[in-house]
Amino acid sequence: MAKYRVAVDTGGTFTDVFIFEEDSGEVIVQKVPSTPSNPSEAIVAGMAKAEVPMDQVQLFSHGTTVGTNALITRNLPPTGMVNTKGFRDVIEIRRSTKPDLWDHYKDVAPPHVPRRHRLEVTERMDYAGEAVTPLDEAEARQVAEVFKQRGMAAVAICFMNSYMNGAHEERMKEIISEVMPGAYVCTSSELLPDIFEHERFSTCVVNAVLGPVVSDYLQDLVGKLKDLGYAGDILVLHSGGGVMKAETVTSYASRIASSGIAAGAIAMNQTAQLCGFENAMGLDMGGTSTDISLTYGGELRMANEWQVEFGYPIMYPSIEVITIGAGGGSIAWVDPGGSLRNGPQSAGADPGPACYQTGGTEPTNTDANLVLGRLNTNLLEGGMQISKEAAEAAVQKIADQYGMSLVEAAHSIIKVAEANMCDALRLISVQRGYDPRDFALVGFGGAGPLHAAYLARELEIPTVIIPRYPGVHAALGCLLVDVRHDLQRTYLATSAGTDIAEIESIFQDLETEATELLAEEGMTGDDVELIRLMDIRYIGQWRQLSVKVPKPITTLDDALAVFHAEHERQFSWSNPDQVVEIYGLRVTAIGKVPMPSIQTGTAGEGAPEPKEVRSVFSESEGDFVETPVYRRRDLAAGTELAGPAIVEQLDTTTVIPVGVGARVDEYLNIIMDISG
Amino acid sequence: MNNKELDPVTFEVLKNAFGNLVDQMSEQVLRTCYSFVIYCRDFSSALCDANGDTIMQGSQDIAVHVGTLHLTCKAILRAFGDDIHEDDIFIFNDPYEGGTHFCDVRVVKPVFHEGEIVAFTLSNGHWADVGGKVPGSFDITAREHYGEGTRITPIRIWDQGRYLGDVADCLVANMRGTEDRLGDLRAQAEACKVGEREFLRLIEKYGVDTVLAAARECQDYVERIARSRIAEIPDGEWETVDFIDQDPDQEEGLIPIKVKMTIKGDQVHYDLTGSNPIVGCFLNSAFPATLSSLVAGSKAFFPDIPLNAGFFRVFDVTVPEGCVANAPWPVAVTGFCSGVYEKAQAAVIELWSELMPQRALGCAFNLEYLLIGGWDRRPGFDSFFMWYDWMAGGHGGRSSKDGSNGTAAVFGLGLSIQPCEGQERLTPVLTAEHSILMDSAGPGKFRGGCGLTKGGTVMSCDGSVMSYCCDRARSIAFGIWGGLPSIPQGLWKNKGKEDEAFLGAIFSGVPVEAGDTFTRPSAGGGGLGDPLERDPEMVLEDVIDGYVSIERAKKDYGVVVIENDPVMLDYEIDTEATDKERAYIRENRVAWMRSDPKEVQQMLANGEIDEMDVVRRYGVVMDWGQKTVLPKSTAQFREMLEKRTISHWS
Repeated sequence: MAKYRVAVDTGGTFTDVFIFEEDSGEVIVQKVPSTPSNPSEAIVAGMAKAEVPMDQVQLFSHGTTVGTNALITRNLPPTGMVNTKGFRDVIEIRRSTKPDLWDHYKDVAPPHVPRRHRLEVTERMDYAGEAVTPLDEAEARQVAEVFKQRGMAAVAICFMNSYMNGAHEERMKEIISEVMPGAYVCTSSELLPDIFEHERFSTCVVNAVLGPVVSDYLQDLVGKLKDLGYAGDILVLHSGGGVMKAETVTSYASRIASSGIAAGAIAMNQTAQLCGFENAMGLDMGGTSTDISLTYGGELRMANEWQVEFGYPIMYPSIEVITIGAGGGSIAWVDPGGSLRNGPQSAGADPGPACYQTGGTEPTNTDANLVLGRLNTNLLEGGMQISKEAAEAAVQKIADQYGMSLVEAAHSIIKVAEANMCDALRLISVQRGYDPRDFALVGFGGAGPLHAAYLARELEIPTVIIPRYPGVHAALGCLLVDVRHDLQRTYLATSAGTDIAEIESIFQDLETEATELLAEEGMTGDDVELIRLMDIRYIGQWRQLSVKVPKPITTLDDALAVFHAEHERQFSWSNPDQVVEIYGLRVTAIGKVPMPSIQTGTAGEGAPEPKEVRSVFSESEGDFVETPVYRRRDLAAGTELAGPAIVEQLDTTTVIPVGVGARVDEYLNIIMDISG
Repeated sequence: MNNKELDPVTFEVLKNAFGNLVDQMSEQVLRTCYSFVIYCRDFSSALCDANGDTIMQGSQDIAVHVGTLHLTCKAILRAFGDDIHEDDIFIFNDPYEGGTHFCDVRVVKPVFHEGEIVAFTLSNGHWADVGGKVPGSFDITAREHYGEGTRITPIRIWDQGRYLGDVADCLVANMRGTEDRLGDLRAQAEACKVGEREFLRLIEKYGVDTVLAAARECQDYVERIARSRIAEIPDGEWETVDFIDQDPDQEEGLIPIKVKMTIKGDQVHYDLTGSNPIVGCFLNSAFPATLSSLVAGSKAFFPDIPLNAGFFRVFDVTVPEGCVANAPWPVAVTGFCSGVYEKAQAAVIELWSELMPQRALGCAFNLEYLLIGGWDRRPGFDSFFMWYDWMAGGHGGRSSKDGSNGTAAVFGLGLSIQPCEGQERLTPVLTAEHSILMDSAGPGKFRGGCGLTKGGTVMSCDGSVMSYCCDRARSIAFGIWGGLPSIPQGLWKNKGKEDEAFLGAIFSGVPVEAGDTFTRPSAGGGGLGDPLERDPEMVLEDVIDGYVSIERAKKDYGVVVIENDPVMLDYEIDTEATDKERAYIRENRVAWMRSDPKEVQQMLANGEIDEMDVVRRYGVVMDWGQKTVLPKSTAQFREMLEKRTISHWS
């Protein structure tokens, strides 16, 4: 009997399926259109298309945009919020800022719970967690009755200073659960016992509105897969780069709001490590946008907060992904000052690039790539014909504005798009103190492999990796992750006045809590890894750094040494003599999921035959050069290619520029050497 | 494209690279600064050319620094001339020579290439304290700059790479939080170095000629776009006036700031001739800050145009010396932000709203800073504390939708408010309420955004005082095109207790002790359009959400709402009663606005009307503590209402 592992990545446009047979190493990939109204339908369709017997599936892991989409479309269940008296507008006032400082007509999205459904009760904790005003139980019960009568499906409980003492929130939760059994109820202190009311409340509200959405969706998916014959666990990818079991997700719904975006970064990291690169950046370029991520020393760069919409942060550690509006469908245009621009407007799938002849007439990156000969007029292995004439007509508009030739215009469009992507790569690397020359660039998504080599050359990145299945590469990210939970506690003390025993005991409490969570998911003993982190900053400073600390902790010195070194690396200065402040303690708990081992390909004999030779524009030559075009499946392990060359596969085209050498490694990745 | 040596791709790449460069500088400041004011984004970064003119400013910079950064750079050039060397770093904060106020400390570094200055990088941050009489350096009683804070004329702080610690120490010795100030200085100096490193990287890659040509083209490009837009507007002359509340040296009466705008071809000219002479408190402004308010106000109508010297070239400005908007040394100007700046900006926004109705905006709430400082005596604490607070408030109504609720002051939309939980941990002040204030929005067809209310209780402390830098207790945020004003600003101490007192919108050094309470609103925005034309359904929704009360729905909008079941949010509009109420208001409202203020005062005393009626229905301005009419201010306020509001009522 075969042993399959299935990874499904549900995106906005496509649902990607990546299936791996453990014994033979056989890989099956499928792409089916997503079904946003009920995403599990596309999953069932994808599985049917893959023709894998469900009773032979060992493990099913899943990345999904169901949370993100619910937040963006605001298709949310009726939700109430209860606050400390005088503070029901915290999530509406936010931090009062706007993303666009000058456009007074561009507004921040309204809060997820409208004011009419935000009620107050009399209670108050002070900064030390002392109850200044006790919880008025009669009022609390009244609030619960109101929510019940209004038919609320979920309630978020958010009180001031509850990070220091969650007793009032807990009591409120008991009362609501008594009055309205079956409602989804969460408190800000159980989710995130962290200082700053808006950030904690916002996380709690997002969790409340997503709770019912996510649990309904997963229940439906579990049922559908069971009907197909799959009885195992469903692991869901969360923004922190781990998975949780479907049952746990229900309590931490806000953690999976960017599940889909994290998948690509994880896959990038895994591929880079497999190829022997500890430091890498990911370029995941699709039709409308590009996601950029970074791994350093084998660890993905994390952010301590993120958001789906401006103003509503979700304060869980999350893989840092920078998304910019540059994709194959991004439109090139000339602004009123005469500057050539590219994106963020995109022709998307509708009307699509001009060359698709589905109504689009504006020049896109895809059109420019077609004019330059980098793309074939015949896509999806013959499944789709695109029109070079239509692309030329669109690009000609830009040419006319500047009095350029058609080819110059096409090349200019691509250079501007690539410059935008370089800026984003610089943002995540140079701006954070990383030197791109120490990195490899992993190019994937439908359009990443077209541009990766040129970007690498611009940023002096010496190596480019194009994975075997770039178009569905992100799905692989769901397959290769462990169960992961992140817990934190606010702890404020200076390095001079720290009680090490107290810190040790808080760490132990957090670890106990984490171990219990993992035990509920069936993970114990050697499968469990616990990592301790400490948030530290110089006294007077406002941002902290999280640094790993040893276990058990007996002295602060090691942690401080790491902190000073990291501060020096990121911000160009440090001062070991200065007193620092400890700000928070965190524990990351990892429950190991056995990883499949990626099979190696067999070496081929002799050089592969190009399927054709065509004229492709070369940047370094400034002209078209005859370029051999290969089929990806013809490239066996060990194959060496010298640019110029083009490699085509189902949904992706890889460009190997003039002067660049490439080889195919044993995992069938294409590795380009850009250093020459 | 004018520059032949630049192809469009290189230009676009370098233009974006310059933007990326200044944003990298900002990120460096944000990550390493010590002042929470800077951390809440009261800072800005710039790349300037060798003449000091701005090539690019940060995308998240706050408005109030716009149009002053190049003046800082030019002040350094003026002071040092040829005596500027590689790895020098300068520091500066002089409002009379090119700064805004003393708290805005600027750090400037020349960028050298092969022995020549090719650019300057500049980092400006609002330090939490720069010395002077009161904590936070906002002394409302100051008449001259002496004692307001440390005035830093252009000085060198790194001499060819050598840190002049003695000079730095001398500066910060005059400030509270000495170590933190050195931390800010270091953060800003590092940011300048980040900018320098990036600029030199670009030169290495593209060559110095290309990079400098792109820098010039950046300015020319912005100028071209701005001029093409201005040229589309027919030539003409427009004028308006906004007011500061009062001059403490004079009898009551609003302080006019007059703005005349002339558009001729593709050039805009602002003339503030006719504005009041300098006033006897720190709400005056020196020329650079006034220039900033005019340019920043205009920028709201060109949100997509990048900010640099090219944009400033389109505007020229006349402000007679000695007027409140061009205060000469040594007149106190630290409160310019709450005073002249807000008013000149609001006036400019009103003028442009007429020309570009699709981006029109009623007046917003006034920027305010509330400071409580003293000795923290909570258990376990024994240290100096400073509770330094500012609020979000309502923005003006817009031509297609309501103003935005609880948003940062127009003076700097990136300026974030502080979390109460952070404040409570650091200081002995317990916040009682921080929420949206019902009925605070100026009524209109599109109402203003709602203002907020924030107040609390002072806990265990010694020797503590409270100071407030605000305005618009009398010159209340106005409506346009028939819209109504919002509510007066100003602080109440111990409201509802025996010793309750209205302390107004500016005061300094008021003693406070444990148990004292305080509260103040940030106003809502002014309304846009006739409130009687507001869709009753929108009024109903506002009632359901508690933005507007049932009572004011009737009085301000003439919409009669019946409450059936508040638990189930069951409210409905009484259509017949609404028609009747609207007809009644329409018939009487002009007469109300022109009725005898003394009678209005009497009606208030009799409890027949409330303060909101006084402002919105009768257009009367009072001393809100005494509840007595201010005759001259009322006359000026009514004259304003005739023009902005009443003349638009059909």
